[in-house]
Amino acid sequence: MAFKRWRLFATLMVVIAMVAAACSSGGGDSEGSEPAETATTTAAAEPAEVLKIAFVHVGPVADKGWSWAHDQGAKYVKAQLGDAVEITTLESIPEGSDAQRVFEDLAAAGNKLIFGTSFGYMEPMLAAAENFPDVAFMHATGYKTSENMGNYFGAAEEGRYLSGMAAGAATKTNLIGYVAAFPIPEVLRGINAFTLGAREVNPDVEVQVVWTSTWFDPPKEGTAAESLLDAGADVIAMHQDSAAPGQAAEAAGAKWVGYNTDMTEFAPNAWLTAAIWDWGPFYLAQAKAVIDGTWKAESVYGNMADGMVALAPFGESVDEDLQALILEREDEIKEGIFSVFPDPIVDQDGNERELGDIFTMDYFVKGVIGSPTG
Amino acid sequence: MSTRRLIVEPRGLASTRLKLLVPVASVIAALIVAGIFLLLTGESPVEVYAKMLDASFGSQRGIAETMISATPLILTGVAAAIAFKMQVWNIGGEGQFLMGAIFSAGIAIWLGDGFPATVMIPAVVIAGGLGGAFWAAVSAIPRVYLGTNEIITTLMLNFIAINFVNFLIFGSSSPWRDSAVATFPTGRPIPDAARLPEFFFRLDVGIFIAIVLAIIAWYLMGKTRWGFAVRVAGDSTDTARYAGISVPRKILGVFLLSGAFAGFAGGLFVSGPVGALDPRSLILNLGFTGIIVAALARLNLIAIIPVAVLMGALNNSGPALQSIGVPTATVSMLQGAILLFAVAGEFLIENRIRRPESVTVAANPEPETA
Repeated sequence: MAFKRWRLFATLMVVIAMVAAACSSGGGDSEGSEPAETATTTAAAEPAEVLKIAFVHVGPVADKGWSWAHDQGAKYVKAQLGDAVEITTLESIPEGSDAQRVFEDLAAAGNKLIFGTSFGYMEPMLAAAENFPDVAFMHATGYKTSENMGNYFGAAEEGRYLSGMAAGAATKTNLIGYVAAFPIPEVLRGINAFTLGAREVNPDVEVQVVWTSTWFDPPKEGTAAESLLDAGADVIAMHQDSAAPGQAAEAAGAKWVGYNTDMTEFAPNAWLTAAIWDWGPFYLAQAKAVIDGTWKAESVYGNMADGMVALAPFGESVDEDLQALILEREDEIKEGIFSVFPDPIVDQDGNERELGDIFTMDYFVKGVIGSPTG
Repeated sequence: MSTRRLIVEPRGLASTRLKLLVPVASVIAALIVAGIFLLLTGESPVEVYAKMLDASFGSQRGIAETMISATPLILTGVAAAIAFKMQVWNIGGEGQFLMGAIFSAGIAIWLGDGFPATVMIPAVVIAGGLGGAFWAAVSAIPRVYLGTNEIITTLMLNFIAINFVNFLIFGSSSPWRDSAVATFPTGRPIPDAARLPEFFFRLDVGIFIAIVLAIIAWYLMGKTRWGFAVRVAGDSTDTARYAGISVPRKILGVFLLSGAFAGFAGGLFVSGPVGALDPRSLILNLGFTGIIVAALARLNLIAIIPVAVLMGALNNSGPALQSIGVPTATVSMLQGAILLFAVAGEFLIENRIRRPESVTVAANPEPETA
C-alpha cells in the first residue's frame, strides 16, 4: 500500500519538477535542467568549446586556509583562460560516501574536469569516476587512482622545516605547541619536519602536540592552542585550516607559525611565517591538458622547486640574520642539496631507525611530545 | 500579562483537513518568505526552487539519490516517533544509529567471507537493531528503575557513541579499522555478501527494508494489544495502571524498540551506501534529523515515509544550489526556513489563536467545534 503511495508521490514530484524546469527555462542559466541521463555520458554530448571545471571543498573557501588556497588556484585558472573555462565551486561538502552524489551531479551537469580537495573524497570520487569514464577526476592528498582519476599533493614538509627554524629561534621557553588535525602520515610528516627545523637552530626545543580531530573548527582549534599556551608554550604551530590557533597566540602575546596561506592579517604581531600552497600553475596545466586532449590520470607530488609549496612572508619579529639562514636552506632544498628528513632518523624515544617510506610515516622524531597514534 | 491581546488555547482534536492543509500551507509560506529573502540577495526564487526540485526529483539518478538519503531518515524518524508517542523522550537516535552501525559492521567483519548474502544481510540488519537497542537500554534501564531523566542520558550517550566510533577508527587498531591502509585511518570494508544489492543507480534495497520496517512499527503500535497498552500508558500512566498495564515494562519495551529502529538505520546505512564503519560517512546527524522528521510527520508512522523523502530531497539540493551560485549560507537559511515554518505550522494544528471578545467571555471558552 505504502509502496504504491510512494510511487504515486514520486511520480507526482517528477511531474512537478519537469513543469517547474520547463517554466524556468527562459532564464539565463538553464544548463542544469537536463533530461534524465544514464550513468555514462557520451563524449559527443557536448561541444568541447568551453571547458567546465568543478572544485569540491570540505570547508568554506573563505577559511583563508586550505580550501581558500585551492580556490585561489581556481581563480588563477579563470584569470588565465577566461571564457574558455567555466568554473563551479562547491564548498562545505562533507567527506564520506555521500560525496559520490555530489561528484556524479557535477559530472552529469557537464563538468569535464573535477577536483576534490580533501582526503575523504577518495573512495566516493573513485566510484563516481567509474560511472563517468569520460570525465577527468583529480583528487588531492589521496593514494588511489584509476583510468580517469589522478591525484596530487605537495611536499609541505619542506616549508614546514623552514617554518620550524623560525619557530625554534623565537621560543624562549623552549616549548612549542602544535595544534594538529589527525594522526595521519601527512600530518606526522609535517610535525616531524617542523621539529627537525626547530631543533636545527635550537637543539633544546621540544614540540608538544595536541590532536583536535578536526580540519576546520575554529573554536576547538583555538581552545587547543590556549591549552598549549597554558602549558608553557610561547610559539604555536598548526596543521589546521583555520586561523584560530594564531588568534589565540596573538591574544597571549605568543608567536605563531601558520599553514596554507599568508595569514599575517589575523595575528600580525604573532606571525612568524608558514608553509603555504600555490595551486594555480598546477590547476592551469591540468585544465590545458584536458582542453588539448592530452590529459592523463597521474600522481603528482609537487614541491618547493616547482613552486607548489612555498614559504610565506616573514613576520616583523623574524630578524634578518635568521631570514638569511632560512632562505639559504630554502635554496638548498630547491636545488636538491638538502633533504628535510635524514636517513637514518632518530625517533621520539631516541632510537635510530630507517626513515622508511615517508608517505606511510607513523612515528614522531626526537623532540616531539605526544602520541603519533592520537 | 493582564493586557494580552491574543489567546492561545489547545484545539483538542484537529480535523483531518486541517492536519493536511496546515503543513502544506506552512511549506508554501516558507517558500514565499524565503523567496523574498532570495530576491533581496539577488537570486531568482523560481530558478532556485526549480533547481531544488530538479536536483532531487528531476532525473532518475536524482530520485535514486533522494531515496538513498531518505532511507535512514525513515527509520530514525520511526525511532523518535514511537518513543515520543509514549512520552519517552529518546533523543539518543544519533548514538543508537551509530551503535547499530558498529554492531552491523562488527558482525559482518567477524563473519567474514564465506557466507552467502542470505545469511549476511539478515545478520547485519538484526545486529544493527540489537546495537541500537543495547545503546537505548543504557538509558532505558536507569529511566525505568531509578527514574533518571532520559533526555539527559540519551543526549549524552550520543556524544559517547560519536567518540567511540572515532576511537574505533582513529584511536585504536580495532577490527573495524582497515589495517591495510596506513595513510589515513579508515573503516575496514565489510564483505560484499553483506552489502545490500543496488538496483537503481546507487539505490539499494535498504529503502524497501526501511519501508517494511516502518509499516511493521505502524502495525505494532496501532493494531496490537501491546501497541494499545503503550498508547494508553502514553496518554496517562494512572489510567494505564488502573487498567492493569505494567507501565515500567511498557516504557522499557518502547525505549528498546525505539533504539532498535535507530540501530536498523545504522545497519542499513553501513550495509547499503557506506560499506564500512566510516566516521566521515556515518556522522551526518541522521539520528537528530530523525527527530525533525518525526515531528513534521506528527508522529504518524506512515507519514514519516514521505516526510523522510522530502527531507532527503531538501538535504540533497544544497550542492546543486551552490552550483548555480547560491551561497552556502543562503542554502542553509532556505533549508532552515522550510523546517521552521513546518514546525511552526504544527503549533497551529495543536492550538488555536484568537482574539478575546471581552475579558469576561475569555474566561468561558466556547465549545470545541473541530
